[in-house]
Amino acid sequence: MKEFFESISKKILHEIHDDEVMIINFDAEVSNFVRLNHSKIRQAGNVKQLDLSLSLIHKGKIHTSSLRLSGNIDRDTEILMKSLNYLRREMPELSTDPYLLYSKKKQSSFTSNCNSKINNQEILQNVLDYVSNEELVGIYSSGNIYRGFANSFGQFNWHESTSFNFDWSLYNNNDKAIKQNYAGTEWDYSRFKKILDEGKLKLSVLDNKEIKLKPGLQRVYLSPSALNEIIDMMSWGGFSYKANKIGSSPLHLMTKGDKQLNEVVTITEDLSSGIAPNFHEDGFIKPEKIELIRSGQFNTSLISPRSALEYSVDHNAAEYYESPVSIEIKPGNIPDDKITEYLKDGIYISNLWYLNFSDKNNARVTGLTRFGCFEVKDGEFIGPINTMRFDETIYNILGDNLFGLTNNQDMLMDCSTYEGRSSYSSTLPGAIVDEFKMTL
Amino acid sequence: MKEDFINQVKQLLPDVDYCSFRFVNQFVNTISVTRNIVEPVTVSEDDGIMVSIINQGGIGYGSSSDLTMDGIKSAINEAIEWSKFTKNKTTFLPDYKRIKQVQGNYFTKEETNWMQVSTKDKIDYLRNLNKILKSKSTISNWGASLRYKKIETLFIDTNDSHFRQRISFLLPQVVVSAAHKKEIQTRTYGGHAHARQVGYDFLDTINLNQKAAELSEESIQLAKSPNCPDKNMKTLIAPDQMILQLHESIGHPLELDRILGDERNYAGSSFVTLDMFGEYQYGSKCLNVTFNPTLESQLATYNYDDDGTEASKEYLIKDGLLVRPIGGHISGQRTGLDYVACSRASNWNRPPIDRMGNINIEPGNYSEKDMISSIDDGILLETNNSWSIDDKRNKFQFSCEKGTLIQNGELKGIVKNPSYRGVTENFWHNLTMIGNKDSQKILGTSNCGKGEPNQTMFVGHSTPMCLFDNIEVFGGL
Repeated sequence: MKEFFESISKKILHEIHDDEVMIINFDAEVSNFVRLNHSKIRQAGNVKQLDLSLSLIHKGKIHTSSLRLSGNIDRDTEILMKSLNYLRREMPELSTDPYLLYSKKKQSSFTSNCNSKINNQEILQNVLDYVSNEELVGIYSSGNIYRGFANSFGQFNWHESTSFNFDWSLYNNNDKAIKQNYAGTEWDYSRFKKILDEGKLKLSVLDNKEIKLKPGLQRVYLSPSALNEIIDMMSWGGFSYKANKIGSSPLHLMTKGDKQLNEVVTITEDLSSGIAPNFHEDGFIKPEKIELIRSGQFNTSLISPRSALEYSVDHNAAEYYESPVSIEIKPGNIPDDKITEYLKDGIYISNLWYLNFSDKNNARVTGLTRFGCFEVKDGEFIGPINTMRFDETIYNILGDNLFGLTNNQDMLMDCSTYEGRSSYSSTLPGAIVDEFKMTL
Repeated sequence: MKEDFINQVKQLLPDVDYCSFRFVNQFVNTISVTRNIVEPVTVSEDDGIMVSIINQGGIGYGSSSDLTMDGIKSAINEAIEWSKFTKNKTTFLPDYKRIKQVQGNYFTKEETNWMQVSTKDKIDYLRNLNKILKSKSTISNWGASLRYKKIETLFIDTNDSHFRQRISFLLPQVVVSAAHKKEIQTRTYGGHAHARQVGYDFLDTINLNQKAAELSEESIQLAKSPNCPDKNMKTLIAPDQMILQLHESIGHPLELDRILGDERNYAGSSFVTLDMFGEYQYGSKCLNVTFNPTLESQLATYNYDDDGTEASKEYLIKDGLLVRPIGGHISGQRTGLDYVACSRASNWNRPPIDRMGNINIEPGNYSEKDMISSIDDGILLETNNSWSIDDKRNKFQFSCEKGTLIQNGELKGIVKNPSYRGVTENFWHNLTMIGNKDSQKILGTSNCGKGEPNQTMFVGHSTPMCLFDNIEVFGGL
């Protein structure tokens, strides 16, 4: 695929006039998706897709065209040439863009993690055999993803990886479930069995009689996965420089110094794992780490090149939406093997669901408990709880009411596949929070 | 897609029990002007094929953006390989003999086609809206955009089915925020609701200039307004909030694939069970809900779904009684229940699943004035800005951009941050009055997420204003 992108980008760049700049982004994948229900296959198939976008820049104007390609050089070159001509034709219709900023410094790079071989049918046969007596529903995705960048300054960047992501839920007869995930680059059958066996053990606690909670304040443990949902809401403009400037950020009061989080909270955009590509769609190279919140205080935002020009600040190569792609929260002191002991009496929440803002100005978020949520009494699991709605501010959850963070982190690979397989991830500890408000 | 190409690819249909080719071409053009600056204009074009195969007890699909003959053959081979592997391992194997032959077409009516209007004219239109939105110094953020999407589908199969559809829709959007001290309040047009199958001429009929001026003024008023009070009261819900209520607490729970458990790992299941159809009183007797792919200009109007089922209007809830699920032909086979043409895919690279099409609340008999004058103590809620509901689609909470208190049958002052919460199983029984055709709006959202692998789908909702008794309403901090 790299050879294809090199060849086709060269052909396009060869056609660029001296007074033009061309930026080319490439995004492709060859994926297998197998959907499971009742521990059998509901849908199974393969997707091969290649996307390439051309951004033509001329006299301070930019116009972008994105196209799906076939992978056939002759056919695709013809399509791209037509597209280039279309962009040239349309250029007089556009205005100059005062916030247009792109990298002119040649910084080429190459990262590859495509060495592993994943035998999908063998893996799936093993899975189906092992779960035949369970009630399992989920999605197995695997294959190669490719990202490329080239521009008329001679820069060339390439990132490729082979991976799998199996995301599933185990159900019991009472319609209660545990959600689990196994993702990586090499399938280890014994590792999969270990994760699944842990899930089966937790599921046995869910067999106990459901405990019906009433609205009120609860001491809760939020697993890394549950905390990730809260962080996702913070990331919905919270770390965006532009959103904080125009006031649409849920954390704008924090950037103004009116609010802060607990001093144990340090949040970093951390690309050091190499899962997400480190090059920006306009050619800038992203810093390995950006400390967004340091010891509870807002430290810096993610700043895109456009925002940098709009607000006369330096950018940190954030993409247009200024959202983190690889967030990390520093661990705390609660021993990972003593969570229920530290929680003592409260609710163990493995998973939260369908979060949204109920008062964005004040970073107030609502959502629901979902998979694997238990009442804990005197440090012991008692039984599953009914689905509860919460409504609480981020300033309470990670601020005044934060009892502590666990001393271990989980690395969570995003399994979303809307336009293609995601390369987002997060590395988070769990959290114990007091007076967490349940409302319905 | 030219006839000679179609004739060529027809020859590629393999010798299997059943095979379909679904070619999809999508074109998207987005133009935005934010805080008076034209953002980079983007155009995207997308072509690909989905090959679906049922053969000898297995199922599989192969999809590719490679539309050369070799590329299509490769997708067919992938589908065949998966159908071999899945033999005797499937949750359900569709009976291919029950798939009907269909032939025909459907095209959105566009009086003025998007391409007939120059990019410059579109930009000028949006620039003018920006000027109107930035009416005062307290306006902290403003912007307007136009998004046009055209989806062309060609479907052929081994039953000699052959249909074409060209669906195009326009999504105009306006956003304006005002700041007062440290309070920011936002009003929008279109954010989640105003996508329709219309031509560019539609913009002449909706007077967005006037709407922009009103929204700008309302955002300023809202930033200075008191918070919505916390109390149970009569709640009159405008169509641009009703569509989310309808979508989340009627549309999704009636999706048959959710009821069958396919979505339990992601979008969730449903409190509705198979035995409730024909038996369960979903809401009060004035509630009538239809699956209606026939309403002209509505977002999900079409003649065929992506499995080739012919579309028709059907009641889902009649006089409050649950009568029919939102399930396509395959879900119908799985359950023996009546099905509708709702098996839809977001693109060529995703397999069809049960989705909403146009899910509409049929109008009642009351004017807006009738409903307001019937309220002693209540609130009017407009324009959704937040939605959340549990995985069985029962416990919900919605927030709106604007609330207007109603006292003694009259609209009083506006309040900010209005929210309400409830439980689906009880909520629709509190429906007391439904507005007539005058308050009905044809709306639709282009970003409904569901499925594994994930798919974003456009769905239509048409609903009048609706009045509910005794709803738990509350405000911000």
